[in-house]
Amino acid sequence: MTKPEDVADSVPHLLSAVLASLRDGDNGLNPLIRVCQACVSLLPVDGASISVMLGTQHRQSLYASDAVAEHLEEAQFSLGEGPCFEAFDTGRPVLVPDLVQRANHTWPVFAAQISAEQVGAIFAFPLRRGAARFGAMDMYRRTPGWLSPAELATALQIVDIATSALLAVSATGPEGEIREDWLTELVRDRTVVHQATGIVVAEFAIPAEQALARLRGYVFVTGRQIQGVAEDLVTGRLHPRVIDE
Amino acid sequence: MNTPPAGSAPTREQQLVRAFVDMADTLVDDYDVVDLLHRLAGYCVSLLGATAAGLLLSDQRGSLHVVAASDERTRLLELLQLQADQGPCLDAYRTGVPVHTDDLAVERNRWPVFAPEALAEGYRSVQAIPLRLRRQVIGALNLFGRDATLLGQENLEIARALADTATVGILQERAIRHGEVLTEQLQTALTSRVIIEQAKGVLFHAGGIPMDQAFERLRSYCRSHNLQLSVIAEDLARGTRDPRTILTRE
Repeated sequence: MTKPEDVADSVPHLLSAVLASLRDGDNGLNPLIRVCQACVSLLPVDGASISVMLGTQHRQSLYASDAVAEHLEEAQFSLGEGPCFEAFDTGRPVLVPDLVQRANHTWPVFAAQISAEQVGAIFAFPLRRGAARFGAMDMYRRTPGWLSPAELATALQIVDIATSALLAVSATGPEGEIREDWLTELVRDRTVVHQATGIVVAEFAIPAEQALARLRGYVFVTGRQIQGVAEDLVTGRLHPRVIDE
Repeated sequence: MNTPPAGSAPTREQQLVRAFVDMADTLVDDYDVVDLLHRLAGYCVSLLGATAAGLLLSDQRGSLHVVAASDERTRLLELLQLQADQGPCLDAYRTGVPVHTDDLAVERNRWPVFAPEALAEGYRSVQAIPLRLRRQVIGALNLFGRDATLLGQENLEIARALADTATVGILQERAIRHGEVLTEQLQTALTSRVIIEQAKGVLFHAGGIPMDQAFERLRSYCRSHNLQLSVIAEDLARGTRDPRTILTRE
């Protein structure tokens, strides 16, 4: 078992730690826990959480790194408002460097609910692949203040890894196994995969996140590479009707 | 300014003015980086005489992505530069200064993978212009020509000025209006590039049309209906808009 501080020094280390914990496969949440821990060690934030959402009605908190992060998620979920909903709805990061000032008029009920907590800033990021939206990641810090451009760049890289980890743990094989290339693919240009996702959207009239899930499911069952399947769809060698559930 | 009689084609000067206004117009609500950069590539071809144009933009990791190209084959040439990790666009991005060659045939040593491929596509000359504001380089614009002399000095200066205008707009817009930082802005641009690829896939399959035509259809539909490209693309990719609305020609 790797200790949390092993992931503390860089984003590439985080990536390998997440890969390692995906390989372990003992607990599907482990990769996500690592990602949240990495936020706290790599960024000036005190806690982080990850939640999955399928529309605003279906949402589930997967992991929160401490009690405050958990409370922030709970309050937002029970009220249906707050930065993580806004990040999910708009598909853009919601950066709130001064929570007290902003929350009082943007999310007044949420602000009242969490007034007892010592939270100065919240940074909420959508977990998405293009139009496919899966959830959100919240980071909070006790004192107000911005993330510097370099810190924000690091945060966005961590969010990328979180998205990949979430995709990897949500599309597992029959034994719960996870394919390693699903994480490493994130560094390549995946234009053809994006186009293939659109083809599956058009074939079944489903949203992009479902299309991507079906595509990945098919890739898993057939034991092929996602790139190759995507190329076959784009060149017409494969009809999308075979990408059934 | 002289206005031509109604119905006559706009003069070159008027077209250039419009292009500059367009590139500077990043303060409007429906401003869309990917669309803006596609228009920039388009102007280089339609107004300045480049045979083709392509654009690379960097992400938060400092790696480059193809965000716009005047046609699909040029997009592949840009991709090739990224995969081979060589070419004028990369050089311009890394050094921050323009790179040009009048004759790709003599550059085979400099770019052993890129030069032969570009020649095979029928291109002879290349001009790469960094998208740069002071010390910050966010990408590069690549212009391709069939002839040995590309553009000419005046057109080249216009191309640089258009690229500079677009860059200033990209770098300033979010900072001014939302207090957001460049990294997030570029991330949004790259996300909308992914969405556009997904939407192309939707139109490709629903309409049985080639991939690059899918993009042109989407773009001309948005233009003629005054709609924002990334919004319509997202609706298509989320399955909330019937692709037939775009595919049916009125």
